[in-house]
Parts: sequence; C-alpha cells; structure tokens
Amino acid sequence: MRLLAKDITFKYKDSDQSIFENFTLSINGPGFISIFGFSGCGKSTLARIISGELSPKKGQVCLESVQKILLSYNTERIPGWYSVETHLRSVIEKEREGELKWLLKEFGLWDVIKKRFSRLSMGQKNRVNLLRYLLQDFDCLILDEVLANVDEPSRNHILSLIKKRYPEKLFIYISHNVEEVCIFSKEIVVFPRGIRLKTLKKMKGLDFNGERFPERELLKKKVMEAIGLASIMPQ
Amino acid sequence: MRIFQFLAIFFIAIFALMGLKYGLGLSNYLIPPFSEIWVLIFKKYYLFLYPSLNTLYVAFLGHLLAIFLAVTVAFFARTGSIFANLIKTAAYNLQSYPVVAVAPIVFIFLGDGLFSRLLIATLICYFPLLLSFLGIFSEPVKDVEHFFKQTNRLDSLTQVLIRCYENLDKIITVISGSGTLAMVGTIVAEFLAATNGIGYVIRKALYQNNLAAILSSLLFIGLCSSLYLSVVEFLGAGIKKRLSG
Repeated sequence: MRLLAKDITFKYKDSDQSIFENFTLSINGPGFISIFGFSGCGKSTLARIISGELSPKKGQVCLESVQKILLSYNTERIPGWYSVETHLRSVIEKEREGELKWLLKEFGLWDVIKKRFSRLSMGQKNRVNLLRYLLQDFDCLILDEVLANVDEPSRNHILSLIKKRYPEKLFIYISHNVEEVCIFSKEIVVFPRGIRLKTLKKMKGLDFNGERFPERELLKKKVMEAIGLASIMPQ
Repeated sequence: MRIFQFLAIFFIAIFALMGLKYGLGLSNYLIPPFSEIWVLIFKKYYLFLYPSLNTLYVAFLGHLLAIFLAVTVAFFARTGSIFANLIKTAAYNLQSYPVVAVAPIVFIFLGDGLFSRLLIATLICYFPLLLSFLGIFSEPVKDVEHFFKQTNRLDSLTQVLIRCYENLDKIITVISGSGTLAMVGTIVAEFLAATNGIGYVIRKALYQNNLAAILSSLLFIGLCSSLYLSVVEFLGAGIKKRLSG
C-alpha cells in the first residue's frame, strides 16, 4: 500500500505565493502515519490534495493498492434534523450494526445517541464524526485534527483502539499535538516552517498500540526531534 | 401580538387624523367624523370583512404558488451550469421590472377574474422568494455536506435539505415577508381591474371620495395581513422547533 504525491505544485487562487513547488512525498501503509507542523504550513492543504478535493496545478497523486481515500476534519457536523442514532443508521451498512454498537460504547457515546448533534459537547461531536468515517469503506483515512476537542485519556484510548481494530488500513493523522504524534505514529512527516515547500522531513515514531507505554526519556527525545525538524527554515 | 401592535398603530393614526380634522376645522367631506368610521367598522363590517377575506384567500393561493415556483426554479438553477446561470441572470434582470406595470397586460389577456389576481399576486412575491432560494440553494454548507460528498451520498435532495435546514431562519423570514407582498400584489391587482376583493372596494371608495370606507378597508387589510403573517411565523417556529428537537 503506497501513496505518492509527485512533483506537486499548488497555489490557492486568491494567493500570490504557491504553498508547494515540485513537492514530493511518499507514504507507505498500512499503519498510522502522522503529519506534524506548525499552524498554516500546509498540512490540511496537502490532505485535501491527497484526497482529491483539491487539484494541484502540476504533479499528481499516485496510488498503489489504495482504492478509496476519505478525509475527515474536526468541524464537520451531521444534519441538524437527525438524532445521532438516526443519522448513523442512515449512513452505515446493515452488516456493520454490531461494529457500530461496539464503537459507540468504546468511544463513550452510547448515552448520547438519542440526542441531536447540536446538543453534544465539542468532544462528543468529534467522536461521532470520526466514528461514522470508521464505518465506511476506505483504504486510507486522513484525520485532520479530528480529535482536537477530545480529552487526552479518551483520545489515547480511541487512537489505540483504531490502530488495533483496523491494522490493514492506512491512517494519515494530522495534529499539532507533538507528543501524541510521536507516541502513536509509525512514521512522522514533519512540515518545516515556511512556505513553498519542496521536501518534507520524515522521522520514526514510537508506534504505541495501547499495550506498553513508551519510556519517558525516549518520548522526550522524539518530541525534541520533531520540534527541531519543524523549526528548520527551508532553503 | 402582531395584531395588537397593528391595532394600536391604526387607532393612533385615526386619532391623529381626527386631531388634524378638528384642529384645523376641516370639513366632513374631506375627513369624515369618527362616528362614520365607527359605524362602518363595527356595524357594516361585512362590507369590508368578506372582501378582505376574499383577498386573503387569493393572496394565500398566490403565495403558495410563488413558493412552489421559486423552490422549483431555484432547485434546478442551484448548480453552476450554463442553464443555471441563465436562469439566475434572467431572475435578477426580471425582478427589477415592476410587476404593476405588467399587470394591465395580464388583465387584457386573462380578464378581471380570479386567475388574473392570482397571477399578479404570485408574480409580485415570486422574485424576492426566488432570489432568496437561489442564494440558499447555491451556498454549500461544507461542514455538513463534506461527509456525504466523500462517501458518494450527496444526492440533490440531501443537498437541498441540508442547505434549507441551515438557513431555516432566513427561509421563515423571507416567506413571512413575501406573504405581505402577496397581499399587496392581490390588492394592487384588484385595485387596477378586478371586480372582487378589498382592492376593488377601495377603488369604488376612491371614485366616491369616501375616506371612511378607505380607512375601514385599511383596518381589515391590516387585520388580515397580521393574521396571515402570525400564522406563517407560528408555523415556521413550530417546524423549526420540531426539526431541531
């Protein structure tokens, strides 16, 4: 399973400067790969290019053994006239009902399924949104800050659970939380500060799957490495 | 509440008119005495109530027809296709043309019956509705639609339902507002050429220089409009409450 963004050049219509210039990135799956970088460096734009939502001016995204890519982000909402349960049942195949129930319990959402989306807390909204994506057909799921409003213990539980439950899928996780990114990722793609990106830095993550938490010193080292790479100004 | 507000404003205006009459010593021919207005409103109310209800009935039908037409046209025009852009351009250009100026043509071709009144009422409230629905149906609600788009579930109906729900307040406001226009359109049509409705009563009163009858007509028009708008707003609030849980 491989995803290759090759020689990508991209510029928003209302901007003078391009975000990517002949930029290349290769991601090998399956597993949990993170994209980390400071705000405004182009992480979400890259996610939208990979998912096909944005078309680059030049270059292309090549896929090997990846048929379906989905992109999810944290401000997504469900239609307001549905309760959580009605919406989920309307967008999930019948044979996944069992998995839905299990995930609702694991995500701590069982008690709120009768409620309207607007009545949920921000963290619950994030979890409902992620849950409905997990129950779709996909090979690669891009998670753009999807758990931004979820408390840390729940976030850790959900990420461990996703990794265990869907080992054959590729997850591209975009986050500002450097510690989380280092703990859970197999590989971390680091966006250096600045614009007109050509290349990205990559580093290994600790690939925690919920069984044995990484040693504090090792985690600290990884965090420093990620921050260091993100702070480098590109030439 | 709306009806009480209207009654308060109406009677303040009547008392101001009486103040003017007695203050300046104006004749009964120019401004009738309060007793004459009183008699028309309370004793001969049927001369104004039934035509007003007739007007309200036509306005209601015209309003419904205009909503149906506006929703249908906006539904097909919401995409960015050449056809859609053509409809939008035509709608924007046509709405600047005064329907009242076209109304005599309608009467010439269709006569002074119900259909002409209905058509003019529909035309007068149709364009504001169309422009609002075009705006609402063409504006994506990205945060809600994104999932449906990603999973290939975003059919036309789902898209329009999402956009309507997200703009429910705007829709209720524009439907209430256009209700007034429907009433105005019907009265204008009746005033121009019809032989029915409160507009026709006003036209007759104008020819007889009967200000008391005109003022009484205004009271009943106001009552009917207020009642209609209150019902539309009540229904809108009910629908919104039911949909949002």
